[in-house]
Amino acid sequence: MISINDRKFLTEALKVSKRLDGRSMEEQRPMEVTFGSQFGHVELTMGKTKVVVRISAEITKPNERRPFEGIFVVHTDIGSMASPIFENNHQSEQEIMISQVVEKAVRRSGALDLESLCIVAGKKCWEIRADVHYLDFDGGLVDATCAAVMAGLYHFKKPDVDVDGGAVTVCDMEERHPVALSVLHLPVSVTYGLFELKNDETNEVEKVECVLDCTAIERQVQNAEITITINKNRDICQISKPSGVSIEGYRIVELCEKAFQEALKVTEMIDKALKEDEEMRNKGNWKALLSAENDRYEK
Amino acid sequence: MFVWELSDTSANCDSFWIRRGRLGSDTGTLDQTHRALLPSYSSPLTQSRHEIYSPEGLRTDGRRWNEIRNFDCKINTHPTSADGSSYVEWGHTKVVCTVDGPREPDNRQNTTDRAVISVNVNVASFSTETRIKRQRNDKRLAEMNILIRQLLEEAVLTKLNPRTQIAVNITVIAQDGGLLPACINAACLAMIDAGVPLTDYVSACSSGVYSNNALIDLNTLEEQDVPFLTIGVIGKSDKISMLTLETQLPMASLEPVLATSLSGAHAIQDIMDAAVRKHGKHRLERK
Repeated sequence: MISINDRKFLTEALKVSKRLDGRSMEEQRPMEVTFGSQFGHVELTMGKTKVVVRISAEITKPNERRPFEGIFVVHTDIGSMASPIFENNHQSEQEIMISQVVEKAVRRSGALDLESLCIVAGKKCWEIRADVHYLDFDGGLVDATCAAVMAGLYHFKKPDVDVDGGAVTVCDMEERHPVALSVLHLPVSVTYGLFELKNDETNEVEKVECVLDCTAIERQVQNAEITITINKNRDICQISKPSGVSIEGYRIVELCEKAFQEALKVTEMIDKALKEDEEMRNKGNWKALLSAENDRYEK
Repeated sequence: MFVWELSDTSANCDSFWIRRGRLGSDTGTLDQTHRALLPSYSSPLTQSRHEIYSPEGLRTDGRRWNEIRNFDCKINTHPTSADGSSYVEWGHTKVVCTVDGPREPDNRQNTTDRAVISVNVNVASFSTETRIKRQRNDKRLAEMNILIRQLLEEAVLTKLNPRTQIAVNITVIAQDGGLLPACINAACLAMIDAGVPLTDYVSACSSGVYSNNALIDLNTLEEQDVPFLTIGVIGKSDKISMLTLETQLPMASLEPVLATSLSGAHAIQDIMDAAVRKHGKHRLERK
């Protein structure tokens, strides 16, 4: 919990457009992505927030109602390791909201092509599972989770399968190149905290300030929160604004425009990190050596 | 079928558009803007039996873009079983809501300096076309409970009744799109019936977009095909209190959709107000 003095200090600072960590109102903490040695192991840090995502795949029976589609699940288990505000083995309201927003942003936005996960219709399909572990919490859980899961999906490779009639053979990773997932777009979540700034004398609300990427302390003071998920094609995948302070419609439209600019930066960051990892794995250019493709010459 | 013509009540909505400078002229109405945006349909082959929005400007159930379904509401439907109750029939969506309280809280440890609101939405298994057995911990329902609760907490003057609980029970009898908005509107009416002090009416409305056309108040068929959002508004302000968007929506369409649902929510408030006044008159005459 935050003390009354701290709360007052924070709001007074916001009135003169200052934040505790010296960022501007519309400045996101830089994200940093590192990939593990295995495919689909991502560590993402954003300020002091730290998230680890592990993507795994196994073969299961598809959902009866959707025989041509694979399964994709995101497990977000926020325990007290992240922060004492979360309890172990008990879903708090905050946790339900976070997992629902992640679910909408990553899964229901159709980022992963589920039909490409089908092996034998109605019988066998891939189940892709993203396990999210929260190691440290300093706000921006949704944003960090969303980026980490998406980076994981781009990074992950599943073993190749051979289908012969009804028999399915899973080929060893050493034997055959593993296949990357078919990811259709990259949704990026951007969260703004809304602060009601009151006049000292009249105690009336002067304006509502939208502050990008609030830290844990700022989150305790904020009056409302709005999470916008958007991709670089200007498609809004999800907006979630539970109640709290109200905001005019045109400001929401403006926020979406700003969120789009942030989304471009995050997309670029993930692309860059993936490229670097690819280059590191391809040391000595073994891919070209193993490839059976002929060089094409232009005449 | 009775339909509420939105263009009559969309004064707020117009100003919203003009302020943003999208209209160009001050005389244009939202109605005309949308007419201008009507798409040119290339081939009759693309028309299916369930045409979401026909070239003539009609939707699957014969409505225009700016017409909400028949919104029929009553309050004080269960006078003996709860402090406040309401029944909302919005098109084919039917919702019953009861409010108990302010009363002694279930959990005495939870007492605070304000009234605690608890919301429980119960979806009848026969409410959909195909009978679906609900899981015990359905996260979507849990999310809906939280959304409704937070919106009510914003409107109810909870500080007037400290150390009490207000229990809101919502039963969904039939669903045909617009479930969350129907629940919110029903909860507001039941709150009024229970005599819980509110700052203003709480109303919600959904609307979607179909190839540059905003469509207000979607039914199930439209909800499946069209990206849509739901907003919750307190009073007749153009400030949005609650907003959820779950399907992919092009950024350019956000503004018309917000404006349409906002004017829809305002129209609903008029209908609810009329129902409350009618009931009040009835009560006075009976005495």
